[in-house]
Amino acid sequence: MIRRLIPAVAVVALLAGCSDSTDPARPVGDAAPGTLRVLAGSELADLQPILDEAAKATGISVRFSFTGTIEGAEKVASGAAEQGFDAVWFSSNRYLELVPEAQKRLGTPAKVMSSPVVLGLPAAKVRELGWDTGRVGWAEIAEAAGARKFTYGMTDPSVSNSGFSALVGVAAALSGSGSALDAARIDAVAPQLKEFFSAQKLSAGSSGWLSEAYQRRAQDPGAEVDGLINYESVLLSMPQPLTLVYPSDGVVTADYPLTLLTSASSEARDAHQKLSDHLRSADVQRKIMETTHRRPAVPQVRLDGKFATKDLVELPFPGSQSAVDGLITTYFDRLRRPSRTLYVLDTSGSMQGDRIDGLRQALTGLTGADESLAGRFSRFHGREQVTLLPFSSSARPPLKYEVPQDDPRPVLDQIRATATSLDASGGTAIYSSLRGGYDVLRRQIDADPDRFTSIVLMTDGENTGSEGITDFQLFHQSLSPDLKGIPIFPVLFGESATTEMEQVAKMSGGKVFDARSRSLSAAFKEIRGYQ
Amino acid sequence: MRWTVKRTLGIGLAVVLLVGVVTAIVLGQGSGERAQLQTVRGVIGSEKLAFFADQRVKDVFAKHGLKVEVDPAGSRQIATATDLNSYDFAFPSSAPAAEKIQRDRRAARTYAPFSSPMVVATFDPVVDLLTKAGVVRSGPGYQTFDVQAYLELAAKATRWDQLPGNTAYPARKNLLVTTTDPRDSNSAAMYLAITSFVANGGVVSSQDAEAKVLPAVSKLFLDQGYTQSSTEGPFEDYLSAGMGKTPLVLAYEAQFADRVVRGDSSIRPDMKLLYPAPTVLSKHTLVPLREAGDRVGQLLLGDAELGRLAATFGFRTADPKHFDDIVKEKSLTVPQTIVDVVEPPAHETLERMLEAIAKQY
Repeated sequence: MIRRLIPAVAVVALLAGCSDSTDPARPVGDAAPGTLRVLAGSELADLQPILDEAAKATGISVRFSFTGTIEGAEKVASGAAEQGFDAVWFSSNRYLELVPEAQKRLGTPAKVMSSPVVLGLPAAKVRELGWDTGRVGWAEIAEAAGARKFTYGMTDPSVSNSGFSALVGVAAALSGSGSALDAARIDAVAPQLKEFFSAQKLSAGSSGWLSEAYQRRAQDPGAEVDGLINYESVLLSMPQPLTLVYPSDGVVTADYPLTLLTSASSEARDAHQKLSDHLRSADVQRKIMETTHRRPAVPQVRLDGKFATKDLVELPFPGSQSAVDGLITTYFDRLRRPSRTLYVLDTSGSMQGDRIDGLRQALTGLTGADESLAGRFSRFHGREQVTLLPFSSSARPPLKYEVPQDDPRPVLDQIRATATSLDASGGTAIYSSLRGGYDVLRRQIDADPDRFTSIVLMTDGENTGSEGITDFQLFHQSLSPDLKGIPIFPVLFGESATTEMEQVAKMSGGKVFDARSRSLSAAFKEIRGYQ
Repeated sequence: MRWTVKRTLGIGLAVVLLVGVVTAIVLGQGSGERAQLQTVRGVIGSEKLAFFADQRVKDVFAKHGLKVEVDPAGSRQIATATDLNSYDFAFPSSAPAAEKIQRDRRAARTYAPFSSPMVVATFDPVVDLLTKAGVVRSGPGYQTFDVQAYLELAAKATRWDQLPGNTAYPARKNLLVTTTDPRDSNSAAMYLAITSFVANGGVVSSQDAEAKVLPAVSKLFLDQGYTQSSTEGPFEDYLSAGMGKTPLVLAYEAQFADRVVRGDSSIRPDMKLLYPAPTVLSKHTLVPLREAGDRVGQLLLGDAELGRLAATFGFRTADPKHFDDIVKEKSLTVPQTIVDVVEPPAHETLERMLEAIAKQY
C-alpha cells in the first residue's frame, strides 16, 4: 500500500510546491508534443510505473493533475478543463456523462482496466458471520451491519469514487426493484440504508488514506475497524490480506476510461490513440493486472487466480444527475452516522487582514455559500454538531450549533454570522486551547456517543502559550480511548510550525492539510471528506 | 489506431504482403507526394472509427490523393448538435439522421455504401433461459429474439431471478437489453425504431401512435438507469466483463462479425447472436457537405478495395459480393438474408419520441 501511494504523494507535493508559479488553469503546463495532459482521479497514481514504460515504448508521456470525480465533472462542464488538459481519466465516466455540459465535451474513451467496489473483512470475521460457505447479498450485509456484527470504513461518496460506488450499489441492491434508482426508490429504502451505514466507523477523502488509516487502527489510536469497502484492487494490495465479499446481487465497477476531450488538438488525439493502443495491448494489460490487481479491459487477457469471483453482476446506475445528487445529499443529511466537528481556530493578531478574511470565507463556504456542486456536498450536513472554538492568548467560549435535518438554513445562517464576525487580536495559545476543546467534546460524547467526531486545528504561527507540544502530548496520552481516537486535522497556514502539526496529526490518527499555497476554503473543503 | 496492429497480424500473410506492396507504392511516390494529400474532415458514427483508422483504408484514400480525418460522434448528435461547418462530410449510422442533415444542409445527394442489421448479442445460458421463456425462437436458419414476447416481460418489470427454473443467471436485476443512451446514440434510436414498431403494431407515423407506445418503450431505457453514449461501450463490456454485467446487449451485427473476422479470440464459443424479429437496418449514410466529402462518398460506394475492406469490418456492403466473400472466407455464422426487417420511423417522429424519453430522465 505504501508503495502505491508514493507517486501520488510525490505528485501532489510537486503540484503544491510549485502552484504559486503555475497558472491554475494550466497546472501541468501548456500543450507539448509527446505529452498528454490529463485531469485524473488520484487513484490513477499507482499506474505511474506502467506509464513510465509506456513513455519509453510510445514516446507519449502523461502529466497528471489530480482531482475528485465531482470536482472534475465541474471542471469539464464549465470548460475550465479544456484550458489546460487534453484528456480526463477518472475511475468512471458515469457521473460526467450525467452532467449534460460535461458529457458533450467528452471525446473518445478507451477503457483501460476495471475494479469492482466490494467489502473486505478479515477471514475470521467472515467465518464468524457465516459468509465463508456461500455468497451473500447486500440485504444480509446491511442487516449484519445494522446489528453491529461488523464495522467498516468507506470513503466520502462526494469526493471519492469508491464510496460513491458503494453508496449507489447498496442503494440499488436494497431497493430490490432491479431497475435504476430514482428519488422515490431512495426514500423507500432509507431505513435499511441507515442500518447499513450505522456500521461505518471511518470516513476518508481518498481510498489510499482510508486503507492507511484502517491499518493504523489495528494498533492505535482509535477504535479498531473490522473491514473496508474499497476497490477490489486496493483490498487485494493490502499487506494483511482481507477476505473479499462479493455481494451476490451485484456490484458497481470502476472501468477507468482514458477519455479525450473534444477540444484536444490533433497531436493530442494521436497521442491519446497511441497511448490507448499501448495500454490495451495484451502484454501491458497482463502487467496492469499483475501489478495493480485491476481486471483487464480486453477479452484476450484472461483473469488470473487472485480474482476469486469472475462473473460479477453489475448493478444498474442511476440515469440522471438529479437522482445521483439526491442520493448523495440523502446520505449526508439522513443516512450516515452524523458528524461532530470541532474547529479550533487561531484568531491571534497575526491573522489580521487577508488571513482572517480567508478564514471567514472558508467557514462561510461551508454554510452553503459555495454554490459549486462540490461546495454543495461539503456544506455542514443535516444533524451535524458544529463547534467553533476561536482562540488567541486563551480560548474564547465555544460556539455550539446543531444543524437540523429538515430545515438547516436558520442554523447555517447563524454559523455564517458568527464566522463573519470573527476578529483577530492577541497571542497564539495553541495547545491550552486545543486541550480546552476536549472538554467540549467530552460532554458532547457523554450525551451522544454515536457520531463521527473530529477536530480541525487551524493556526498561522508558532505557539506563544505557556503549554507546549510536549505538555499536549502528555495530556493526549492520558485521554480515555474514545477521546484519544478523535483524529485532529491540522491546517498549515502562514508560518505554521509544520513539525509540531505533523506530530499532532500523527498522535491522533489525523492528517495534515496544507493551505499555504492555496486558499483556506480549499483546505477546509477537502477536510470535509474526512469528517 | 487501436486495432491496426492486431488486425494486420490476424489477417494472414497474403494481406500483410499486399499492404506492404501498397505501402511501398505510396511511399515510392516520394515524401513530397505524400505531403500533398488533401485533408478531408468528417464526423462519423463511432462504429466506423476502426474502419477509417485502418492503415489499409488510409492507403486506398491516399492512392486517390486524400487523407481522411474523422471525429466520432453519436449519430443524433451529428444530426442535431454538432457544428458541421468544419467538416467536409457527415457520416451518421442511420438513414433518418442522414435525411435530416441532407435537408438542413441542402446536400444534393447521399451515399449509403454499407449497412448492418441490429442484433442482440448474448450467451448460451441466456439463450436457453429465454428459449424457455418464449423470447428466443428458431427462425429461418438463425435464432430470433421475439420483441413482442420481450416487451411483455419488460412491461411486468420481470427480474432475471424471477424466470422459472433460472439457476444459470439468477441476477436480481431487471431483464433488459443493454442499450446506449437514447439521448446520444444511434443504436438506441434504432432500438426505439424496433420496439415502437412492435408496440404500435406497425411503423409509428402519427402523434397518437407516439403517445400510445411511449409509456412501454420509455421504460426499456429508463429502467436501465445510466447508459453509455457510444455503442462500443456496452459491446466492449459484453466482450470483457461478460454475462454478469451485460447478459443481453444491443449491437450492430458488424461489431460482432468484425471481431470474428479479426480472429483475436474475443468471441468465445458461448457467445451467440440473436436477430430481433423484427429488426431494422442501420444504413450508414454519408452526406457530403463539401466537394472533398463527395469524393469520399463516391470512393466508399464505388471502390472495390474499400468495399472489400468494409466487409472485413463486418459491414454488409452495397455490393453484397464483398460481404458474402468474407462470410465464406471466415465461416461467419450470419444469415445471408434477414427476412423480418422493418423501416425506422421518419426522422421527426423518431426525434419527438427520443425527446419525450429524454424529458423523463
